[in-house]
Amino acid sequence: MRRSRIVAAALSALAVLAAASLASAETPKSGGHLNLMQREDLSQGFAVHETSTIATSFPSMPCFNNLVVFDQTKRAETVENLVGELAEKWSWQDNYRNLVFFLRRNVKWHDGQPFTSKDVKFTFDMLREAPDAPAKLRINPRKDWYTNVEAIEAADPYTVVFRLKRPQPGLLVMLASGYTPIYAAHVNPAAYRTGCIGTGPFKMKEWRKGEFVDYVKNPDYFMKGRPYLDSLRYVVIKERGTRTAALQAGQLDVSFPGETTKTAAEQLKKAVPGLVITPVAQAVSDNIIMNTKKPPFDNLKVRLAVSYAIDRKALISAVHQGGAVPGASQQPKPYGVWGLLEKDLGTLPGYGKIEDMRAQARKLLAEAGITPQNPLKVEMSTRAIALYVDMASFVINELKQVGIEATLKQVETAQWHSMATRGDYQIGANLTGLGVDEPDANYYENYACGSPRNYSQYCSEEVMKMIEQQSQELNPQKRLALVAALQKKVEADAARPLLDWRLDYFTVWPYVKGMVPHDNIYNFGRMADVWRDK
Amino acid sequence: MKTYIAQRLGIGLLTLLGMSIVIFGMLRLAPGDIVDILFSTGGYVNPVERVAIEKELGLDRPVWVQYLEWMRQILTGDLGKSYRYDLPAWEIIRPLIPVTLELAILSLIVSVALGVPLGVISAVRQDTPLDYALRVFSLAGLSMPSFWLGMVIILGLVAWIGWIPPVTYVSPSENFWLHAVQFALPSLAVGYRSSALIMRITRSSLLEVMREDYIRTARAKGQSGSVVIWRHALQNAILPVVTVIGIEFAFLIGGLVVTETVFNLPGLARFLVEAILWRDYPIVQNLVMFIAIVVIVSNLVVDMLYGFLDPRVRYGH
Repeated sequence: MRRSRIVAAALSALAVLAAASLASAETPKSGGHLNLMQREDLSQGFAVHETSTIATSFPSMPCFNNLVVFDQTKRAETVENLVGELAEKWSWQDNYRNLVFFLRRNVKWHDGQPFTSKDVKFTFDMLREAPDAPAKLRINPRKDWYTNVEAIEAADPYTVVFRLKRPQPGLLVMLASGYTPIYAAHVNPAAYRTGCIGTGPFKMKEWRKGEFVDYVKNPDYFMKGRPYLDSLRYVVIKERGTRTAALQAGQLDVSFPGETTKTAAEQLKKAVPGLVITPVAQAVSDNIIMNTKKPPFDNLKVRLAVSYAIDRKALISAVHQGGAVPGASQQPKPYGVWGLLEKDLGTLPGYGKIEDMRAQARKLLAEAGITPQNPLKVEMSTRAIALYVDMASFVINELKQVGIEATLKQVETAQWHSMATRGDYQIGANLTGLGVDEPDANYYENYACGSPRNYSQYCSEEVMKMIEQQSQELNPQKRLALVAALQKKVEADAARPLLDWRLDYFTVWPYVKGMVPHDNIYNFGRMADVWRDK
Repeated sequence: MKTYIAQRLGIGLLTLLGMSIVIFGMLRLAPGDIVDILFSTGGYVNPVERVAIEKELGLDRPVWVQYLEWMRQILTGDLGKSYRYDLPAWEIIRPLIPVTLELAILSLIVSVALGVPLGVISAVRQDTPLDYALRVFSLAGLSMPSFWLGMVIILGLVAWIGWIPPVTYVSPSENFWLHAVQFALPSLAVGYRSSALIMRITRSSLLEVMREDYIRTARAKGQSGSVVIWRHALQNAILPVVTVIGIEFAFLIGGLVVTETVFNLPGLARFLVEAILWRDYPIVQNLVMFIAIVVIVSNLVVDMLYGFLDPRVRYGH
């Protein structure tokens, strides 16, 4: 089994290399138009800083630029693959206490105003909610990312310094996320809910609500010769069957990130063998949230029993038809940088022989006073969306095998996050997307004491220390080891048992060139390098 | 007749007032509001920010104040602002109306064009194999939800010929034929279901009329079968059919949700559901009021048609 997996991985690596060399051999052509799939209307317009949904970030990417970004032509999101966008160069100074960006000088906003360091300071002062910030976001989901930023100084119009409270090497990677574009200082942040003034390769032409977003090429884009395409249209199609049919019929040229399951990809390939399907990771995990502040899940033994009871491999096979991979709280290798190795993963709850795992779960439950005569009855909450319900139904069946009787409670989207943040639930089946493959973004957001997105309300002094320690570790190898220890610790505490990491089968028509999906759905789609060979 | 119309309009206005209270109340009773949804897109909730947004949107005011404000807006022709899009509600609603009206009217044309003649044929050929076949056809139409039929059409087309109608709305001025193609299939899917109902009503109503003495008299006087059926029988059997057509039209305006979704048509029914999920009160309230107005007007038109079709109604007997 393991050998075949290695062979498969080697073959896919070869295929990627072959595709990459083939792509590099082709000369990009300018002109043309692409239709891209959009699963739902933009929830907050182009106000990327006020949302955490791919439905906003993906169709907004062509409008904006970051200081730095993950190379859009490379799949892996590593520090080595960071490239400058609005920043030409950058430099860590004072032992990783200061991060200095040297900005491009020939950049204009879509309304003709020049881009300067004032815009960078404006954006990040607003994000970190600095006392003297000139603007405030209506909602600010990633404020926690910037808690270590002490000040942002615009030394001159083309130099910006991020002064940090302590060293934080991971900050640079967080600035490369699709969720970290630079806003214009002269535009009210609220205006991004209805329109988009960016510096990106495409200018927003029209957003017809519930129908489409049209972009046209930005002729003043700072990268000469880019973008290649003349125009883009993101077509909103709510019905999944219609979306797939539109892609198959050629009315759409590019699928939506995270949209295509393994089964759908197989059907598409069968119907249109020429379609180019690339399996990539989504950076979206299935996980179990348990309210650690209320019985019975304030008891570690009960939480661990739940974690032991769920057969991850069976879940991947039954619910995802193989379109997911097991992993702990960081995306597993080779899709992520920080994931645990398979040998380490095997030691965690839920990864051994299922009979042994279930026996262990029953033993833990018995120690907690839960027996077949005195079974545990709980309510399993989940969002009333098929993606969630399928997973929850599977988990309920797994829990039944060890004597936990769970009933499914479907919660409407309007209620889900407020319910989870309030801790108004017992146990829940949840999905978590990581905006960037960086432990700081993950652990401060999902595991830190008091974080509103720490739905389990898990709080451990020891874990907080481990989070802080890894965050400021400058030696990459040492930091990797610290993050591995952290992953093991939160799984051992069943803080938020991870079940799997979802894969996407990103699909494009063969004439779409230069569109390289990443192992994270949130960080690609700038579209500057994409061209049409037709 | 004028007094009658005035009375009906008066009742219609009262109905609208009642509807406004029901819509407003039910929306507020539904759990969650736009602020919950906004936070949902951010994946968290912050109580302080929550209060600020409620204040910004005016949701912190007493419910009755919000209701009176809405009434004031309607009376001054201002439908308020969409919470979700931060744009005037009318600006969002206006382009949706023609799409749904066109789809509803085309579907109704399909349903009448199919349902009435087939209902007549079925009644005239009662208990023949043709009648049985048409009854099966109509029963199938009633049994198949139009969205299911729509999905089958889409999937069938893409599987067999690798083509589906345009998924982006094409206006008639842009490309008339493409527009016609875009609306033809959803109209057929919806019209088939409605035609089944109209056919069954036509058949049963016609069968009842054809047993009347005056039909027998007309036949005895030597009038041809077609004259008896189309002039004497159908004219008297059509009243219940007209009622059903009126109800169907009103139903179609709000009931095209799934068909608009499956064929990706930017109509108001699809948008209404989206607005409900977002708790976008200004959009929902005004769209439902619009649908209520259409229902009231179509009922009024049906009542007036009664007068036109049946002299007994016209002369107040």
